[in-house]
Amino acid sequence: MIRFAAANHPALRRIGRSLLAGVLIVLCARIAVAQDPDPLLKLDPNSRFVIELMIDSAKAEGIPARPLLSRALEGINRKADNKKIVDAVRKQLGLLRTTRSVLGGVAEDELIAAAAVLEAGAKPAQLAVFRVRHKDRNDLAAFTYWADLITRGVPSEDASSAITKLWQDGADDATFYSLWKSVQSDILQGLNPGAALQNRIRETPGRAPPSKTPPEGPQERESL
Amino acid sequence: MTDSDQHPYVEWIAREAQRPVVTDQAARERIMMAVRAEPMPRRRTRVWRRVFEPRAFRLSPIATTLLAAGLVGIGVITGKVVNNRGVYPSVGEPKAPAVVQQPPVSPDTVVKFVFVAPQASKVSVVGDFNGWNATTTPMVRTANDSVWTVTLPLTTGRHVYSFVVDGSSWNADPHAPLAPDDGFGRPNSVRIVGRGSAL
Repeated sequence: MIRFAAANHPALRRIGRSLLAGVLIVLCARIAVAQDPDPLLKLDPNSRFVIELMIDSAKAEGIPARPLLSRALEGINRKADNKKIVDAVRKQLGLLRTTRSVLGGVAEDELIAAAAVLEAGAKPAQLAVFRVRHKDRNDLAAFTYWADLITRGVPSEDASSAITKLWQDGADDATFYSLWKSVQSDILQGLNPGAALQNRIRETPGRAPPSKTPPEGPQERESL
Repeated sequence: MTDSDQHPYVEWIAREAQRPVVTDQAARERIMMAVRAEPMPRRRTRVWRRVFEPRAFRLSPIATTLLAAGLVGIGVITGKVVNNRGVYPSVGEPKAPAVVQQPPVSPDTVVKFVFVAPQASKVSVVGDFNGWNATTTPMVRTANDSVWTVTLPLTTGRHVYSFVVDGSSWNADPHAPLAPDDGFGRPNSVRIVGRGSAL
């Protein structure tokens, strides 16, 4: 038999019970606060299941799941309908798969940025040039400005050839930034996006192309 | 009642019952072998009885509630331990990383977000760094009434974000590259943190 010992005096018993109730409330509150609410809980069960399945598939394939979750959360917080959220996540997974098959093994951020280039409208074949890797070089900035230019209305072919040419000439992040800043400024002033890029790319200083046989040599990205 | 008082038929039955049974020796052996072949019934030990014997408990309401809370707590902790394989329970672990995994980076790069919104009553920044939650990172109106700012520690890499004005209007950063339209309406902005980027 389990019984709580309490003083015989009714007043003391009441105080004891009140204390216990208080402790109980605090414990329950702590448990409730400690819970990590499932961020996808706002989705209907079917949509949630499908998205979780895609996240698990991405993990199993070695594709980063972070952008998938991020996209789902963005949709939820933008109050998009469930179908639109599922479609957006599915599209993102497809883009990441395609990007990985085109570029091979790259850093996670580069993979996500390159997927954004495809999402903006570039073709996988245009991205394939970047499969050749130069040691200590990160293509995050190139991919980011490339996607931006297409999003702002620069024709995909023009943006792709301009960025690819700069990249092949060994342009650094500052050069990409300078080009983007100028084109963006021209577009905001009302210039046609394609014309703005054509004008500015002529002004962009070219760099000496990287040596044909650099010390470490251009290498194919690891294909997995 | 004596034997003589009984009915002859009853007396006959009694006699028959008292008569020793004569059995065939071979039959007796067969029976004994069959009995020996049967498994011995296991004796229930005291511990066994103690564990499985039903019993009655008396619990006060407060003790019952505490017990229930404790069980819930154990369940929660167990669930957390079992599901502690990332953000979501997964059906399969990655077989082989196909992307080059970046080393974990501590969020020690402080980034300042600035947005001009003179008419806004509240502005917040949302992005992949705060789960796109508009209540997580409110911005502060500076002395100049139209400028809203917030400073955040972010990990190195690419971050996608937007500014939410008055809780409903999502706006891209006019001073940052755009992310492609992801199907939810206005495009977001991109910021590259670290690596000496100009972004």
